[in-house]
Amino acid sequence: MDFICNFPFFSILISLFSGTICSVLPAKAAKAVNRLVIAAVGLMSAVLLLYLLSTGESFIYWMGHFPAPWGNEIRAGVLEAGMALFFCVIMYLSMAGGAHKLPGEVVESKHSLYYILVNLLLSSLLALVYTNDMFTAYVFVEINTISACGLIMIRQVGRTIEAAVRYMIMSLLGSGLLLFGLCIMYDLTGHLLMSNIKESVALIMANGEYQIPLIVAVALMCIGLCIKSALFPFHSWLPDAYGYSTVSSAAILSSLVSKGYIFLLIKIIYRVIGFDIFNSTRIIDVLFVFGLMGMIFGSLSAIKENDIRRMIAFSSVAQIGYIYMGFGMGTQAGMVASIFHILSHAATKSLLFIAAIGLTDVSGGSRKFIDLTGAAYRNKWAGVAFTAGSLSMVGIPLFSGFISKLLFAQAAVQVEGKMLASLIVLGISTVLNAVYFMKTVIRIYTSEQDAPYRSITFRDRKGYTVVLVCSVLLNVILGVSSQPVVDMIGQGLAMFA
Amino acid sequence: MYLILSSIFFPILAGLFLLIRYRTPLPGEKRAIDRKALTTLTGIFLLITAALVAAALLHAKESFTLFYLTKTLPIYFRIDSVGRLFSMLAVIVLPCAGFFSFEYMKHEERESRYYGFYLLAFGVLNALCSAGNLITFYLFFELLTMTSMPLVLHSCSREAVMAGLKYLFYSLCGAYAALFGIYFLYQNCDSLAFTADGALRASSIAEHGGFLLVTAFVMLLGFGVKAGMFPMHAWLPTAHPVAPAPASAVLSAVIVKAGVLAIIRVLGMFGRDFLRGTWVQSVWISLTLVTVFMGSLLAYREPVLKKRLAYSTVSQLSYILFGLAVMQETAFTGALCHVLAHGFIKSSLFLCAGAIIYKTGKTRVEELRGIGKEMPLTMWCFTIASLGLIGIPPTGGFVSKWYLALGSLKSGMPVFDVLGPVILLVSALLTAGYLLPPVIHGFFPGADYDYGRLQKKEPCRLMTVPIFILTTASVFIGLFPDCVSGIIAAAFTGR
Repeated sequence: MDFICNFPFFSILISLFSGTICSVLPAKAAKAVNRLVIAAVGLMSAVLLLYLLSTGESFIYWMGHFPAPWGNEIRAGVLEAGMALFFCVIMYLSMAGGAHKLPGEVVESKHSLYYILVNLLLSSLLALVYTNDMFTAYVFVEINTISACGLIMIRQVGRTIEAAVRYMIMSLLGSGLLLFGLCIMYDLTGHLLMSNIKESVALIMANGEYQIPLIVAVALMCIGLCIKSALFPFHSWLPDAYGYSTVSSAAILSSLVSKGYIFLLIKIIYRVIGFDIFNSTRIIDVLFVFGLMGMIFGSLSAIKENDIRRMIAFSSVAQIGYIYMGFGMGTQAGMVASIFHILSHAATKSLLFIAAIGLTDVSGGSRKFIDLTGAAYRNKWAGVAFTAGSLSMVGIPLFSGFISKLLFAQAAVQVEGKMLASLIVLGISTVLNAVYFMKTVIRIYTSEQDAPYRSITFRDRKGYTVVLVCSVLLNVILGVSSQPVVDMIGQGLAMFA
Repeated sequence: MYLILSSIFFPILAGLFLLIRYRTPLPGEKRAIDRKALTTLTGIFLLITAALVAAALLHAKESFTLFYLTKTLPIYFRIDSVGRLFSMLAVIVLPCAGFFSFEYMKHEERESRYYGFYLLAFGVLNALCSAGNLITFYLFFELLTMTSMPLVLHSCSREAVMAGLKYLFYSLCGAYAALFGIYFLYQNCDSLAFTADGALRASSIAEHGGFLLVTAFVMLLGFGVKAGMFPMHAWLPTAHPVAPAPASAVLSAVIVKAGVLAIIRVLGMFGRDFLRGTWVQSVWISLTLVTVFMGSLLAYREPVLKKRLAYSTVSQLSYILFGLAVMQETAFTGALCHVLAHGFIKSSLFLCAGAIIYKTGKTRVEELRGIGKEMPLTMWCFTIASLGLIGIPPTGGFVSKWYLALGSLKSGMPVFDVLGPVILLVSALLTAGYLLPPVIHGFFPGADYDYGRLQKKEPCRLMTVPIFILTTASVFIGLFPDCVSGIIAAAFTGR
């Protein structure tokens, strides 16, 4: 086994321990450690990705050298490594993009606490991505929830505390359901390792005994993860949590945390239940309908919103709906489209949150649309970046959003029964997206002669501007040369089986 | 390859340069824009672009793939006869209207933004004309909406912004409906590259023929939004009057023609033989005829000059669509002739209206009494262009309407072969009814008119020369239609 195979384990461990170290460091050093860890993990994931692409097959890493079915395992394939790399990139951009706001948002004494939480969050995300063991997954889901709560609450204003409590309740409900499902699954199969469960599940389905409890278990796990990733009827915690927390938190929560759970669901679908068995249940129809409803109602709520941050948050509900619609199609193509949309949405949403803060900064900190009039002239880079993000969300060619819509549509035409519904809802949702994003873009480009706010230029915020440019580039790269990414996703899914 | 690419990217880069270099100063900022340098630079950029497009038109024959969006979707360029015809229109109208706006925009704010987006739209239009497959076309079709919207909402008044948004939503809805069709075509064609005689696989036609007809209809409706076809025409009369006059000229003469170009492409993809005689053709022809008649009627009742011209655009564009819907060579010739004729005439009319507004501030038709005495050259051009639109020989409108009617009669369709020409004639009468009153009252204000108040208000050359060129071009098309007949015949076969 090559040395590189240790990398997944290393990355989880480094981020976990650096969290502990941060607790005794002063804020500045904690920040440096945090950045360094994210960069190091990103680098390791990149190397791992290259290694996996060259060998062409996934590997299983034993923790503590106990063989299956007793030991704990980590598994890495192209998709896992790619996802870890992408998560690190987005996290780095989000942290760097929100860094200048942190002193104003969080009390000085809690800065190192903030970095602890971020590191813990990273480690739990990585564990969710890499683990091959359902119970480990559950443990890290909880760690993820707690650190996410902390990230929301660390900005101590009334709304965030309320949001964090709400998030906590909904999230615990979600993880409780996941645990229920897991228990039933353990009872039925007697295993916790994903590959072993899958074998037993196949046997159960073949025998025809205990099918209903099995499907109940699967449904419980799905619903649990849906709640945590804010699929439509379970999204009530989302707008406040994204809308009032610190910038970096909002960007990380919307583009990474919910995606971590979705990725876990993908792993469960492929590695625990089996893609074909999952598709033979009615669960996918439910996911499909919820996804479609989310696409419409999320956008409608966003249109009604008068607060730019909450508007972007509601748009996440719609985008999560797209992802679940892809699951609901029950085909390989739909899954590829969903995974691509995870990437595309993560890249766009973090960009939008970071750009929005640049706009509110030059509008006296107000997030109401009326105050944002002409903000794009006062902070040019943020204006351009927000426009690029909006265009991507609307699905204009050359941005990543177009490619995901294209993939969804291509997947939809292959599914006889769901084709019309998905295409029509895609159309409606595109137009609704255009309504609120273009409205905002026009608002920020409407010049206001007597605005009392001072403008911000490149020189004032170099780091911030660089982050914006990088995020826009990431978007355009995903939009222009999507083929390698799509190929990689296909390859990774093939490794899952 | 480089000629085509430079004709696309030079104006785009130039437009971006203007947007950045001559950015509107912020409220507190002490920086004046050097207006002379700005207009000179824009003028030079426009001329260079025009030269590049002309060179590309004459020399470019090859096709090339720029890059692959996904494995099976190339961004592919190829200039064929249809594209050539449309870029001929663009290359004459856009510089003329551009030079006109140097004078017209003198007192407007945020001039640099206008010129910047003007050049961007020029580049995107060139790309649209040289796009070689549907996906490339769709890309630039969306970009055209995005780059022309700032022209519409230029004044940034509440009304203008709402009009811009309306334009945006109508166009996006239409483009999405078309995209919906592109997905199906993608499934049922071997490639999305343009042809004139159908790219559908024979097996697909046999298998889901009915569904493909629905797809074709949705695509026609979707792209028809841009061409102002009933029932999705409402954005046109809202957007045109609020935009600055040269922008409405370009919008009405060239940008809405992108919808026509799109429909020609879609027809080619499905193949005329596939659609001829189906319900799609009947419904489509009915829609175009309704639009022709309704547009003229609304224009006839409209008191505001620019809005009247906008309704007239709705009506005239459906003449073109009617010609395409007949799916017969003579009618097709008429349609493409009318693309050119209407482009020149309507841009000239809008520029005249702009010159009147600029000099006198009058916008309503009944205020224009005696205007012919004050601005004789402008009003003469207005008169000639009006005669062209009505279809009186020897102007461009006559030739195209002649072919349209002839093609319709020859087509052998039930009902429509006679009904079509009848409605075209009635509409021509209405056209005379709404365009001639300003001319008549302009030149013959009546006995009670106070000649003492008469002032010379002829605008400067920067305004009159472009109007004159466009009017001449419209007459030229009528006198020598042969110079474009070769290219139109080639366009029909898809070369």
